[in-house]
Amino acid sequence: MQEVVLQTVNLTKKYKDFVALDNANITIHKGDIYGLIGRNGAGKTTLMKTITTLTNKTSGTFSLFGSEEELTESKRRIGCLIESPAFFGSLTAYQNLKYYAIQKGITNDKQIDKVLKAVDLFKEKDKKFKNFSLGMKQRLGIAFAILDNPDFIILDEPINGLDPIGIKEIRDTLKRLNEEEKITILISSHILSELYLIANHFCFIDKGRIIKDLSKEELDLECSKCIIIKTKDVKKATVVLEQKLKTTNYKVIDNTEIRLYDYLENTLKVNKTLLANDIEVTGIYESGISLEDYFDSLIKDGAK
Amino acid sequence: MLNIIKSDLYRVFRGKAIYIAIAFILILASVSCFAMSPGHIGFASSSIEETDYDNEELLEKLYETDSIIETREIMKEYGSFPLDKSQLGANANLYYFFIIVVVIVLVTDLSNSTAKNTLSSAISRKKYYFSKLITCLGLGTVLILINNYGSYVINLIMNGKEFSAGILEITKLTILQLPILYAIISVLVCIGFCFRKTGTFNSITIPLIMVVQLVIMGVATLFHLDGANILNYEFQYIIGNLVANPSNTYILKTLVLAIFYIIVFNVIGYSVFRKTEIK
Repeated sequence: MQEVVLQTVNLTKKYKDFVALDNANITIHKGDIYGLIGRNGAGKTTLMKTITTLTNKTSGTFSLFGSEEELTESKRRIGCLIESPAFFGSLTAYQNLKYYAIQKGITNDKQIDKVLKAVDLFKEKDKKFKNFSLGMKQRLGIAFAILDNPDFIILDEPINGLDPIGIKEIRDTLKRLNEEEKITILISSHILSELYLIANHFCFIDKGRIIKDLSKEELDLECSKCIIIKTKDVKKATVVLEQKLKTTNYKVIDNTEIRLYDYLENTLKVNKTLLANDIEVTGIYESGISLEDYFDSLIKDGAK
Repeated sequence: MLNIIKSDLYRVFRGKAIYIAIAFILILASVSCFAMSPGHIGFASSSIEETDYDNEELLEKLYETDSIIETREIMKEYGSFPLDKSQLGANANLYYFFIIVVVIVLVTDLSNSTAKNTLSSAISRKKYYFSKLITCLGLGTVLILINNYGSYVINLIMNGKEFSAGILEITKLTILQLPILYAIISVLVCIGFCFRKTGTFNSITIPLIMVVQLVIMGVATLFHLDGANILNYEFQYIIGNLVANPSNTYILKTLVLAIFYIIVFNVIGYSVFRKTEIK
């Protein structure tokens, strides 16, 4: 069984009457790149701040590496970049990392060089932070997050404000860290298309509530083009699909809905075949939406 | 906790602020030694200066001149007095240097949001609070020692032995003053943790030491209280009185008061910080 890195149970954060996080339940397994998607103000940062104890939870529980009690010890195994990267402007990139290396008890200065190289900032190590571009600041933030060889890194909108090349560089860096160093990553963004390229698990959050939590395969399935067949006799309909239309490329959603991923240009034939075999079809139509539309529909469904 | 203190010292000694503060302390000490007159801040000062200049003729001559060089000659002509001890009586001046220490160690970290890097992954709030407090007290002590022994050495060089109280007396007075100076640092640390923004911190702390005296005098006048007696337990007065041969009872009272301030302000500071959301 995969190790659970982070688990939240009914985690709630209220600011007076405003509920910023409402009974959030998420589970992140070792090796995951877990994408947290939501609009601005949806509760992504609040969730991250709560699990890093930058803000106190109102109710609920969370555990890091299976431990609820030894949070300070567990926190040593995580690296964070919450909100915009903040460092001392008058210190250089190297000095800033050295400052945090001392805090974390890292005595080998080569580790600083290693993380600076990992985010392609080694050549800029003697440049003061105040003279950094936004992309360089974000990359230094990631270097800080991985400084102590963490098992789990939490990155809050690390691609915000970056140009396409900067976004690609960060994406490649994170993928490499996940694949080579086996680091579990929790990353938030409001740009689903970007997150889609890196994450293998997605959690949609809106108005503080988790509205959907699914794997990449499930997301693909949800968004991919298909024919939706509504019928009261799902079992019989699947037999017809397999025997008459010779396809197993379908998914039974519930006892009234089947999603068929073949015959996409021939809905009429599917309908005729089902009717010819005495299947009562209450609805049949083509479906398939973009990631953005899917996100939009989730938010609208959540609002209802 | 030790790592946090070490990292802060690494950062502080890579910046210019601490060196500028030390340079200013030594310049102030030099100017005071040359002018043979320790300056002080605030609206009223303790009894130390009054007792030092009890010769009416000397006072008259001092009032008549605006020249520092002439003042110096007059002071030398009228004989010896422990100038370095008088300078310790004006140690309330260190208040502004303590503000610099608290800003560079603590308020910058909270104001720049760099504190979240530390608190999100390396350390608990309790350890963070006490690391910052210890660092501020440590650097504050360094500044006190530089100020006191710097004044002693500069005074010896400029004015000679006859104007010095001696190193043992300076050491004794330094030890006597330390608790109340630590109380002042604790007040500043408390304000730093409560307000967390450099601008707000500065606008509160810079006038604070003068406002305290004004408030005490105002309250005393309004309620017909013995203002002079109350002022004896105000920070600046305590610092001054402690170098003016105070009674053991007074020393004990100020020690208790200093410990009370240290505990109360740190309890307030930590309680506020514990519940604060780190931006």
